[in-house]
Amino acid sequence: MVKVTIAQNILAANDTIAREIRQQMAEYCVRVVNLMSGPGAGKTTLLERTIERLRDSVRIGVIEGDIETAADAERIEATGAQTVQINTRGACHLEAHMIRDALADIDLAKLDLLVIENIGNLVCPATWNLGEELRAVVLSTTEGDDKPAKYPQMFALAQVLIINKLDLLPYVEYNLEKVRRQVLAINPSLRIFEVSCRSGEGLDAWTCWLEGVVHGGER
Amino acid sequence: MHELSIAQSIAEAVEARAGECNATRVKGVRLKIGEASGIAVDALTFCFEMVASCSPILTDAYLLIDHVPHRAYCPHCTREFAVLNFVVQCPTCGTWSAEVISGNELDILEMEIEPGTQQR
Repeated sequence: MVKVTIAQNILAANDTIAREIRQQMAEYCVRVVNLMSGPGAGKTTLLERTIERLRDSVRIGVIEGDIETAADAERIEATGAQTVQINTRGACHLEAHMIRDALADIDLAKLDLLVIENIGNLVCPATWNLGEELRAVVLSTTEGDDKPAKYPQMFALAQVLIINKLDLLPYVEYNLEKVRRQVLAINPSLRIFEVSCRSGEGLDAWTCWLEGVVHGGER
Repeated sequence: MHELSIAQSIAEAVEARAGECNATRVKGVRLKIGEASGIAVDALTFCFEMVASCSPILTDAYLLIDHVPHRAYCPHCTREFAVLNFVVQCPTCGTWSAEVISGNELDILEMEIEPGTQQR
């Protein structure tokens, strides 16, 4: 028997493409956010509201990841933002090569910010680097307040958490303080925004911060 | 079910390295998987067997996994501790400034190839 050393990360091929994407984005001065959540937390609605509010100050492009349908891309396109839909046909997460291919259909010179809306899944997307600079996770008050403790990896690797559907708090069993405690125990430097995409509550704080990230290099 | 993608990535990396070594058959692959890497080892083993059975070079290859515990280092106490359920609070001083030092590993360490195949 002969043993041969390999000594490489299992995802080395993905990481190489992710590095190329990061370099390309740096050349065009485009910031990249990987937006993740379970299904139905409100990623697409948050994007619609964000694009509307930053229309005059940040040129936003979106790569929409879904297993099937172009429904989300159609919603984002209606806002006027550059949009590309990726359908993974069953795959539970996006990988860097899918982003590289999607970028062929995006005019980066006309963007300040690219948001990659990952597949609705609180587990698998966390493992794949897509060339992003920031990872943002969306939770919603209808999902139950034990999700960070149950799906910790996603929160450990994110920089930003947006808790959506604040308007539904009177109707659901959801303890915001418990959620804050759980996520900060996993990731003490996580930045938290609490919003309602429906009523608009809290959205200004989120969009102001995002605008600062894009134009001021804030983190 | 992202373990299938992980298994395919392992097979591709191992096949490429086997090609470089002119190996005709890989007997086994040794991995290092961190406790916090989000990989279900049973699912990965199952998926790897399935992927390997479709590859002439990898058919019947075993998968050996070195498990790496999730650990962090507290700069205040200057000591390491085991991270439980991803909570990064130092159990000694109670501060939250610890740095994770292991547990995220997802590495292919080595492969075993059949004798008679040429190593370059």
